[in-house]
Amino acid sequence: MNMAASKSGRGLLWTSFWLLVVFLYAPILVLGVFSFNDRDIVSFPWQGFTTRWYEGLFDNQQILDALRTSAWIALVASIITTVLAIPAAIALQRRRFRGKAVASGFMLAPLVVPLVVLGTAMLLLFNYIGIPFGPITLIIAHVIIALPFAILTLTPRLERIPVAIEEASRDLGAGALTTFRAITLPLLAPAVVSAFLIVYVISFDEIVLASFLAGTTTTFPLYVFSQLRLPRQLPQIPAVAVIVLAVSTMLVVSAEVLRARSDRLLGEGQLRVDEDDTATVVGAPLGAGGSM
Amino acid sequence: MNDGPAISLRGITKTFGDVVAVDDISLEIPEGEFLTLLGPSGCGKTTTMRMIAGFEDPTAGAIYLRGEDVVGVPPNKREVNMCFQHYALFPHMDVDENIAYGLKLKKVPRDERARRVQEMLELVGLAGYGARRPGQLSGGQQQRIALARALVNRPAALLLDEPLGALDVKLRLQMRLELKRIQHELGTTFVFVTHDQEEALSMSDRIAVMNHGVIEQLGAPRDVYEHPESPFVADFVGVLNALELRIDEVTGDDAIMRVSDTERVVVPVAGTGVTAGSTVLAAVRPERITVTSIGDGTTSLLKGRVEQVVYLGTLTQFHVQTSLGRRVIAHRLSDDGAARITQGDEVSLTWAREDGSILRVG
Repeated sequence: MNMAASKSGRGLLWTSFWLLVVFLYAPILVLGVFSFNDRDIVSFPWQGFTTRWYEGLFDNQQILDALRTSAWIALVASIITTVLAIPAAIALQRRRFRGKAVASGFMLAPLVVPLVVLGTAMLLLFNYIGIPFGPITLIIAHVIIALPFAILTLTPRLERIPVAIEEASRDLGAGALTTFRAITLPLLAPAVVSAFLIVYVISFDEIVLASFLAGTTTTFPLYVFSQLRLPRQLPQIPAVAVIVLAVSTMLVVSAEVLRARSDRLLGEGQLRVDEDDTATVVGAPLGAGGSM
Repeated sequence: MNDGPAISLRGITKTFGDVVAVDDISLEIPEGEFLTLLGPSGCGKTTTMRMIAGFEDPTAGAIYLRGEDVVGVPPNKREVNMCFQHYALFPHMDVDENIAYGLKLKKVPRDERARRVQEMLELVGLAGYGARRPGQLSGGQQQRIALARALVNRPAALLLDEPLGALDVKLRLQMRLELKRIQHELGTTFVFVTHDQEEALSMSDRIAVMNHGVIEQLGAPRDVYEHPESPFVADFVGVLNALELRIDEVTGDDAIMRVSDTERVVVPVAGTGVTAGSTVLAAVRPERITVTSIGDGTTSLLKGRVEQVVYLGTLTQFHVQTSLGRRVIAHRLSDDGAARITQGDEVSLTWAREDGSILRVG
């Protein structure tokens, strides 16, 4: 019945859990080990501890350029995506309008369209209308593929903000814009930060569309991939990967900590929407029952 | 300021698709009145209030606030404020900021703002709570802050949407008195929406009983309770006995049905057009029925057998099978006399003629 309840079931669960952990994290661990291995070829045996791959990074202008390029492209893409995602999420979660299902479908479609197809299509389109391949086309492409992730990150938080709170603000004399700035946005802020970070990581990491649309621009993933053919520099790649991993982990963890703390500050009860509340506040204006 | 009503609804109708939520309601609410919209879920009371607040626009009809037509005016430009069902306090602001929100938007100077917030905190009995966050307050305290946040703006009317629904029973009783005291102190017009008849009866100056989008009866609590004008009102407001009567005789303003030599039911029928031979549905409240041992001769009298006795604390409830062929519920104070009457006893039920009323003719 309940797998976790029986003794053998529990053993099975633990086994599969540890298998998953090993499969997920062993490669990363190996990467970390190689980044400190004093050997010119990325493989065993262990030949002693060194930090020279890390030291060498700061002299490798190509790596630094690639990192810088990816960093600012990701920054611009995540700002644009987040700014677009907020009104989109509000429209999809709060408003009712004709063609909502279609609009929602179009905005979330990039989740399921194969990147190769998207890349080919954009390549043809940008070439046809004459946008030069480079940072601009990369930013456009990254905004499109990251938008659904941003919207889906914002929506659950938005669902937890009762409509009545926004109505209370309007009732007390605030216009729609003031209500958004003073009430909705501050309450949504933790999800906005999460959305921003997720989009940043997606863009920073993106290689398929970059292969189609980068032109002569070299983003970090493109650089790493190109270096796999040059064995002499190869040991630096694990080192830079470890740094990128450490920085992004730190960002995500601190964002989570911030979010958890702000949730606590708000008080769980305040933002939780009771079932009957949803029925009256959200459903009342247009629900079949009409009113309460 | 004019001397006209605070709020005037003229023939307002609201439809959502095919559903008629509010059907041609007209209502005048004088300044300073405590008016309750009472009715079951889906009767249109909340929609009516949301139209006054400006969250819905009527499909037809006009709404006047202090003589000014406000249809089409957004909620932030209307001189009414609302208390929401689940308080809807701003969780990221402290109590002071919550209450000062409306004043800040109206650009009230800082000193005056602080003074008025302080006044309100004292009015609702929460002085010293200004620095707390809503999440740190109990439900009852949040309710008071929501009240203060609305009243600090000195609205032409305060709209309350089932504000006590989320509180536990004891707190609810306490908040009823509190609300009434605050309303009396400030003299603000209150429009109170509830489905709880006890709340409506205990606080209101007038009650509008709503059903299916129309006002079935409008009147003082005593009128609505004691003289319901329709079966719905009678049924919704309190426990009630509805009796199908065939009138034998009309003398003056009284219609009489003779059930037997000694038993009769008498109801006042002035202006209803009831004549001898009419069938009417009449009503009488359980607590107006005297349950005594058979013998004396008051105006309405029915004999019956006690089928069930329900002890309610202060009152004891008797379910009596009468010679009308219908079960009648009667309440009586749980005194020694009540304790002697048990299941199976023969009793007589009597009540004064003016305690009866006509629900329906024919």
